[in-house]
Amino acid sequence: MSLELASEFGNVVLQAGEAGGPALSELGAAAIAVGLAAFGAGYSQRAIGAAAVGAMAENEDLFARGLILTVLPETLVILALLVVILLL
Amino acid sequence: MSTTGSSNPEYVNARVRARRAALFNDDEYRKLVRMGPAEIARYMEESEYKREINELGSRHSGVDLIEYSLNRNLAKHFNDLLGFSEGRIYDLIARYLRKFDAWNIKTVLRGVYSEASREEIDTDLIRAGEFDESFINRLLEASTIEDVITTLDGTIFGDPLEAAFEDFEETGVLVPLENAVDRTFYEELLADLPSSEPIDLYREFLEAEIDFRNARNALRLARSGTDIDPADYFIEGGQLFKARELDALVQDPEQLLTRIRDSSYGRELSGPLDELEAADSLIEFEHALESVLLKYSRRLGNVYPLSICPIIAYILMKEREVENIRAIARGREAGLSETEIEQELVIL
Repeated sequence: MSLELASEFGNVVLQAGEAGGPALSELGAAAIAVGLAAFGAGYSQRAIGAAAVGAMAENEDLFARGLILTVLPETLVILALLVVILLL
Repeated sequence: MSTTGSSNPEYVNARVRARRAALFNDDEYRKLVRMGPAEIARYMEESEYKREINELGSRHSGVDLIEYSLNRNLAKHFNDLLGFSEGRIYDLIARYLRKFDAWNIKTVLRGVYSEASREEIDTDLIRAGEFDESFINRLLEASTIEDVITTLDGTIFGDPLEAAFEDFEETGVLVPLENAVDRTFYEELLADLPSSEPIDLYREFLEAEIDFRNARNALRLARSGTDIDPADYFIEGGQLFKARELDALVQDPEQLLTRIRDSSYGRELSGPLDELEAADSLIEFEHALESVLLKYSRRLGNVYPLSICPIIAYILMKEREVENIRAIARGREAGLSETEIEQELVIL
C-alpha cells in the first residue's frame, strides 16, 4: 500500500518537475516544516501530559505547574512558525 | 488494567513519585520509636494511614489496629498501582505483586490446615495481588486443602499445586505445597521477560533478590544445623548458587561466606559480612541484605526514571515502611528499649 503510494507520489513529483518549477513550492515546504515541528511537540506532550495528569491526580495543587510543563513543547511550533514567516 | 495496548510509564511514575514522597522519613521514625502503641496509632491517624485507622478503629485496638491498618494501606496502594497501569508496565508490576497472591494462598492453606475460622484467615490476608475480591472470597469459602487447589485451577499456581498435592497427601505436612507456591512465583517472575535496557536491569535486580533469598536460607540452614535438604528451599533463577552446590555449602559455613564475599555482591556486603563473622548475629546480616537491595532498587530508579525501576523501588520502600512500623509497635509492646528497636529497623 505505502509502496504504491510512494510510486504514485514519485509520478506526481516527476510530472511537476516536467512542468518546469521545483517539486515542492515554497508554501508546501513551509507547511511541511510547521507540520513536522507540531508533530514533535505533540509527541513530547504525550508523555508530559500523562505525567502531569498523574501528578494532578495525587495532588490537585499541581494543576498550574502541570499545565505550564505540558504547554512548554508548544514553543517548538511557535519557533517553526516564526522561521517560516521570516522566510516567506 | 490490561496487559495489552500501549504502556503508560509516565503516568504511573508521576503517581508513584507523589506516593513515595508520602512515606515516613528518618525523623518520623525517630519520633515513632519513642511512642507507645496508642500514640503510634494516633500519629498514623494524622498521616497517610488516616482512612484505614478510622475504618478499623472500631474493630481492633492497640498493636493489632496498627498492623491491620498497615496491611490494608499497603494493599490499597498496590491495588491502585495495578489499577492505573496499562500494557507492559502492568505486566511487570503484576509479576512482582503476585508475591501477595502467593502470600494469600499460603495463608489460606495454613488456615484451612489448622482449621482456623474464615474471619481469622480473612484478617491475615493482604489483598494486594492480582486476585480480585470475588476470587479471594471463593478461596476463603474452600473448606479443605483440595477445595483450595481446585479453586486455584486456571491460575498460574494451579498446576504446580496439583502436582505437589500428592506429596502433601503422603507426608501430611504443608511444606511441599508452600514450596510449590513460592517456586511458581519466582519462576513466573523471570519467565519471558521482554528485553530492553531498563528491563535487563530489572531482571538483574530480581536475580539479586533471588540470590539474597537463597543466601539467607542457606545461612539459616547452616546455623540451625538441621538435616533438611537445602535443595527443597532453593529458588531457581539466581546467579550466585546452583542447586547442586548448595548442599555442600550449607555443610561448610566458612566456604558459604567466602562464596558470598567473592561474588559480585561482595563489595556492598563486605561490611555486614565482617560483622557477621565477628558478632555471629544473623539478624543484622539479614537487615543488611535488605538495605543493600533497597539501595540497589533506588539506584536503578535514578538511572532509568521512566521505567519499571522506580516503581519497584517504591514497592520495596512501602513494604519496608510497613515492616518498620510493625517492628516499632511490636517492639514497644514487648517493652524493648529504643536502641533495640532501632536495630530492628531498616532505614536508608
